[in-house]
Amino acid sequence: MKRVQRDRDEMAFSEIFDFFAPKINAYFIQNRIKIESSEELTQEVLSAVWVKSNLYDSKKSAFSTWIYTIARNKKIDFFRKNSKINFVEEDIREFLYQDREIDLIEESEAKKQIERINNELDEQQKIIIKMNFFENKSHKKIADELEIPLGTVKSRIRQILTKMQEFIK
Amino acid sequence: MNGTIVKNELIFDFASGILGPAKSLLASTYLQLNSNASKIGNTFEKMLGENLMDNENIYPKNLKYSDCINGVNTKSASNLNDPVTSFFGNLNNLNWKQVYKGFREYTASIDDYDELKLIKMDPGVSVPLHSHGGKEYILVLEGSFCDEYGEYSKGDIQINDQNIKHTPIASNKTGCVCLSITEKEVIFFGRYGSFLNLFTFIKSFFKQK
Repeated sequence: MKRVQRDRDEMAFSEIFDFFAPKINAYFIQNRIKIESSEELTQEVLSAVWVKSNLYDSKKSAFSTWIYTIARNKKIDFFRKNSKINFVEEDIREFLYQDREIDLIEESEAKKQIERINNELDEQQKIIIKMNFFENKSHKKIADELEIPLGTVKSRIRQILTKMQEFIK
Repeated sequence: MNGTIVKNELIFDFASGILGPAKSLLASTYLQLNSNASKIGNTFEKMLGENLMDNENIYPKNLKYSDCINGVNTKSASNLNDPVTSFFGNLNNLNWKQVYKGFREYTASIDDYDELKLIKMDPGVSVPLHSHGGKEYILVLEGSFCDEYGEYSKGDIQINDQNIKHTPIASNKTGCVCLSITEKEVIFFGRYGSFLNLFTFIKSFFKQK
């Protein structure tokens, strides 16, 4: 990423593209966006990485976190435009998801916290986090796919949320 | 209802990008005012970023890296104000509506299923005992209030479900300004309860038009 930021190195960018494009594309598809739109959104995300590379600060966040937030914001914007609710006024969400400057924790500190949290979570909890918060599947859908009762999904999510609180001080 | 869990759920849902506009505004303000909430939000975004790193690959068929370098994508909405000011403007200039003496509110016009309101209470003013049809979120923007469950100051959030009955009282010194979201109408009890219920009923009747 440094080479992209400093030298506008297109080869370096193509490496980022090769690694992230299929993962971002998969993220949109997992969020139930059709393949035509998912590729368009993937292009928008990686264009933003190229155009806004000067805004990325490696001390404040991991590169993957930064790309994730761009992809998530594109997803929000996409669902807003395709919403069944007829939004008369301009939706405000877009600006709410702009980068926060306040009380960001140091990247190194965040890394340690996540290691600790990951050690505490079992494999099923990690899968549930991914399904619920990354792929935004409903509790019902998670229960069906993992073949566990709905109540178990809910209580497992509750355990995760409690653990997060314990480990972030 | 365990307060910590519902708070974290709000933060997680915000990081996941699945909240409607009203709750997004509340959550982003919460993260701005409350450093602990902000840290949890950061950490969670990082976890989701790691999910992205480890995600499966579905290769785009019609996309090359050069499309992203030459593609047009320069839209950037920079926003220096805090979310509440960006959305409402200067709070002193709002057309506040007095509900009763010392209690004013301003209902935002926002396209969402949830109702978004600003509430301003003068020092020492209380709200009659009430409970809620759906969840209620109250984020303190200025001053503080207390109720049967504790004291809430700037940056604190209280999330109430239908099982909670409470009587909030604004701080004697500062009063309070809060951002509130109600999922459904509030149900009042006590002396003025039936009158206030009638009032919210009539209000909701007109709102449907």
